[in-house]
Amino acid sequence: MSKIKISKLPLARREKVSPSNRFGGFDVFCFIILLVFALLIIFPFYYLFIVSITPQEIYANNSFILWTPEISFDAYKTVFTEKSIWNGFGITCILLFGGTLYQMFFTVITGYALSRQKWVGKNFVMNMILVTMFFGGGLIPYYVLIKSLNMTDTIWVMIIPGAIDTFNMLLMRNYFASLPKELEESAKIDGANDIQIFARIFLPLSLPMLATVGLFFAVGNWNSWYNGMLFNTKESLKTLQQVLQDVIYTPASTIPNPNPTRINTESLKMAAIFFTIIPMMLFYPFLQRFFVKGIVVGAIKG
Amino acid sequence: MEKVLIKKKQSLGYSIKRNLNASKFLIMMIIPAIVYYVIFCYIPMYGVLIAFTKYSPRLGITGSIANNWIGFENFATVFKLPGFWQAFTNTLLIGSVKVIISFLSAVIVALLINELRMRVFKKTVQIVVTFPHFLSWVVVASLFMLLLGENGGISKAIVASGGDPLTFFSDGKKFLALIFSSDIWKEAGWSSIIYIATMAGISSDLYEAANIDGASRLQKIWHITLPGIRPTAILLLIMSVGGVLSAGFDQIYNMTSQLRNATVLGSVQIIDTLVYQGSLGTGAMTFGESTALGLFKSVIGFALVITTDRIAKLCGERGII
Repeated sequence: MSKIKISKLPLARREKVSPSNRFGGFDVFCFIILLVFALLIIFPFYYLFIVSITPQEIYANNSFILWTPEISFDAYKTVFTEKSIWNGFGITCILLFGGTLYQMFFTVITGYALSRQKWVGKNFVMNMILVTMFFGGGLIPYYVLIKSLNMTDTIWVMIIPGAIDTFNMLLMRNYFASLPKELEESAKIDGANDIQIFARIFLPLSLPMLATVGLFFAVGNWNSWYNGMLFNTKESLKTLQQVLQDVIYTPASTIPNPNPTRINTESLKMAAIFFTIIPMMLFYPFLQRFFVKGIVVGAIKG
Repeated sequence: MEKVLIKKKQSLGYSIKRNLNASKFLIMMIIPAIVYYVIFCYIPMYGVLIAFTKYSPRLGITGSIANNWIGFENFATVFKLPGFWQAFTNTLLIGSVKVIISFLSAVIVALLINELRMRVFKKTVQIVVTFPHFLSWVVVASLFMLLLGENGGISKAIVASGGDPLTFFSDGKKFLALIFSSDIWKEAGWSSIIYIATMAGISSDLYEAANIDGASRLQKIWHITLPGIRPTAILLLIMSVGGVLSAGFDQIYNMTSQLRNATVLGSVQIIDTLVYQGSLGTGAMTFGESTALGLFKSVIGFALVITTDRIAKLCGERGII
């Protein structure tokens, strides 16, 4: 305690003395640039929200909407009663929960196996995995493979090929490897078997990293559209992002405007966008630290 | 001599057996991964041989290799395609400019945040600027279209005050600028995180010593902070060089309204979008030709990684391979 105080005191004094540490022009400069950057990021969301709650007569009669005197949730009502949106939401939820669990399972056990003591062929498997980070087959061989596995037009094509993400797997591996080896030895002496050591000791100790990796997967699944776009033609299998693409690029056929005198098509599009980002906006501020931890640990060790 | 050799072999066999026995659980755990990587990564790698065949879906990959092998014919056809050189130069241009600007913007944002001394504001800014990274390009492209498009909010305001609507989505050059700026908008904050973490790891002794010597804030940034993040910066730059040829399929696909905006597509058509459009979109290319195009990209990308890694090592930096 006293040690900390002693080392802190001269530093604080020095800060007062040194001219470069006074609050000055440079601080204002940093503040303003970052404020502008942050506002540039916030503004589209704000504008989007305002337009989505603006009724048609006000939208049509004003050049640029920054504020609406009359709030109307008609656009949201239309979006919330639209079957295709809820269908997309359902598919995306299957990916979000089922897909994330599936990916976590395979990614975590792979990371664990590669983090423990040396076994025959460990280096070979590790190199085999690392090669795939630098070289891949490309779109057409992948397409042919998925076709030959008969996965097209099924929900599986959006889940199964994503079993292991190499980056997330390495995050897990590095985290497991950073836990002390003695844990395993002492558990063995106490008579724990391999499964118990993994499930009762290593998994509970890795909760922060499990949360990070799980969140990376969850975001990926929430944003998923690529595999669906390549391999699924059925309307009923479209993910939320794919439905959103339809809303933005072909609005008239995706969400028919029930009341053009009351709702602007732009408001409809914006309400649909808002529907897809609101969960992220609500959770992100609280979860940001997990994402940050993942990228920092990953890049420093990777 | 012989005796010793035999003994060694026996002990090797024995130790393998013992290791297999002791690591049964771990080996069981790795089997799904081996199956996964073989099916989803190595079979497609074998599948690149489609590039050397006249591919027929009826024969499949192996059948096409056995019966329809045509050597480098597909490559010759692809290199003569009217859109190929444009896509190739676009890919190089967009990819390399993106590497540079995303590096610069990340370092600048990191420096600004690092120099900021208002705690609460610092935290809020970090949350705000890292958020767009987690949105899909579907959402980001829609945001930009609704705001900056010809019928978008800002155009509407300009037209109302007597001007012409914005042409970001109809003028190739402006569209290219929009591709770069939307990339900064989405990724600069997130990419800055790693630099901020590195800056936090720089020893505070260095800054204190500089204070005693009377260094200014800018001098401290130039002589301490920037050299401090140099190894990380070089490492990340090498890693991003491999991605130069993947200039951003998701972004371009969505920003051009699923490749439908023909007026600007020419100036942003990249190899990845050409492969997709040619084979699965309009179908102007055979599977053999588009695989050849994809393989051409992968090989150059791989060579780029190796070269940069060598150069970095020659310059005395830590490489990645």
